Amino acid sequence: MPLAVAAFVFVLLPLGLSLAGSGYLFRLAVVTLIFAILALSMQLITGVAGLLSLGHAAIYGVGAYTAAILATRLGLDAALTIPLSGLVSGLVGIALALPTMRLVSIYFAVATLGLGEMIYVTLLNWVSFTKGPLGIGAIPPLRPLGIDLSGPLATYLFVAVITAFAAVVVHRCAHSYYGNALRAVREDDQCADAMGLNVVRLKIEVFAIACFLAGLAGALWAHTTGYVNPADFRFAESILILAMVVVGGLGSVPGAIIGAALLLLLPEALRAVGEVRILMVGAVMFLCILFLPKGLFGEVSALDLARRQFGAAWQPERGLGWR
Amino acid sequence: MPALLEIDRVTRRFGGLTAVDDVSGHVREGELVGLIGPNGAGKTTLFNVICGFTPPSSGEVRFAGTRISGLKPWRICRLGIGRTFQNLRVFPNMTVFDNVSVGAAGREGHSPLDALWRSAAARERSAAISRRSWAALERTGLADVAGELAANLSYGRRKYLEIARALATGPRLLVLDEPAAGLNDTETQALARFITSLAAEGLTILLVEHDMGLVMSICQRVMVLASGRKIADGTPEEVQRDEAVLEAYLGVAEEGA
Repeated sequence: MPLAVAAFVFVLLPLGLSLAGSGYLFRLAVVTLIFAILALSMQLITGVAGLLSLGHAAIYGVGAYTAAILATRLGLDAALTIPLSGLVSGLVGIALALPTMRLVSIYFAVATLGLGEMIYVTLLNWVSFTKGPLGIGAIPPLRPLGIDLSGPLATYLFVAVITAFAAVVVHRCAHSYYGNALRAVREDDQCADAMGLNVVRLKIEVFAIACFLAGLAGALWAHTTGYVNPADFRFAESILILAMVVVGGLGSVPGAIIGAALLLLLPEALRAVGEVRILMVGAVMFLCILFLPKGLFGEVSALDLARRQFGAAWQPERGLGWR
Repeated sequence: MPALLEIDRVTRRFGGLTAVDDVSGHVREGELVGLIGPNGAGKTTLFNVICGFTPPSSGEVRFAGTRISGLKPWRICRLGIGRTFQNLRVFPNMTVFDNVSVGAAGREGHSPLDALWRSAAARERSAAISRRSWAALERTGLADVAGELAANLSYGRRKYLEIARALATGPRLLVLDEPAAGLNDTETQALARFITSLAAEGLTILLVEHDMGLVMSICQRVMVLASGRKIADGTPEEVQRDEAVLEAYLGVAEEGA
């Protein structure tokens, strides 16, 4: 099965796209892969560890801006900017996680929403550093170690390799005793605590790993697009990533990738119908929750998770809020 | 030699309510001790103080000579106190094996590096967790349903799953919170035999129960709580003859007559 997927992603799809000879289709494939990385990292936080983070796009933005600034101001090579973006995003993730990880359920979601918007406002207003609403342009395309990967096929293959790396990382984290520990945190964090798991540490670790991956996605976005703008890293983007995870199925690695492909390609396929397509994406999500409560491949129902996040807020005896 | 678990003048207040009032007691290594009391006697609060879910307002709990009150539940668990929950808190969307492996990971420790980089040490830890989990599943007779989702298990077997998960944490002291609640007579008797067999293997057990029958039939010693205070402590026979216990459970003699 993994071999078939690899053959499709690395051979069949690029072959087909080359034959079609369209830069637009390659661009679409690259953006889909970047969002697949984002959905994979979100899957680790929300699907596996059960933390509803609403600031994921901001972390992705931190990665994109790190790459953009390092590449345009310091002229750093993509072989450096990409891992450094991951690192910076991972560190920002840890910095955000430290004060919020003791928050329970919906309080955590609201805190990450607020922190995400703070990052957006910083990107927007710190004009001397980020060029504010103008965004940063003229970011050099992918030329890691002097190897020119700026052609559509080479760019696609490079992004596909990093997506595969992200998939392996998330798969290994999710399918191991470590993944079971994370699932226990999702199912009942108090009980996981009583079973000897250091829940706060687990949450911070998983947040750091996921934010590292989101940072990689951001760097790839910056280098392949050539331009970053704060508006690309707002709350709506976080919700889109969350929707990919929910449609694909909470807790499933292939689900995250297919969810990303579905929610990105569907609006493109529906371009002909005009602005109504946004409504149709909403309808897909709605129908998905209604008829596929566990998404395409999920192990938990999204409504269940939401109910736990929101419902729990009305149970004072469970010790919610600060703990 | 100090007892394995020492409860030293523990008081827990919730606002104006004193749920546990100056309770002292102990559990020695190898003992099977019952903690009983009518509804609202403070059993669950005392239980939560022992396991670190609620800090005591005053007094302290010591385990194997070290003070554990004030520690986080996971630390207490790693020191060797395994617990079950009264209102069944298995992880429903996980398989039986995965449920138990969580307890085993609590004992062996967990690191994301083990998942990311499968070094020799990482594989050794995974194998140790897996061995520990299987041992707990075999011991509780759940090995045949290891691949089932916990949510699909019958109520009775979920009770055993809770015990298996607690056993996988490698406890020196197993604290069971109302294990017989919701079970019929046959199931309760089977559970009683199972708990006795665990105790016979040398595991120290503190059994918190609402129902007197189970406790009186298997425990070597019984502590009785009523309205937050300890009113008796002795063998089942002594406790059953105790005036204060009869009064707490049956009301005063005039009312009973």
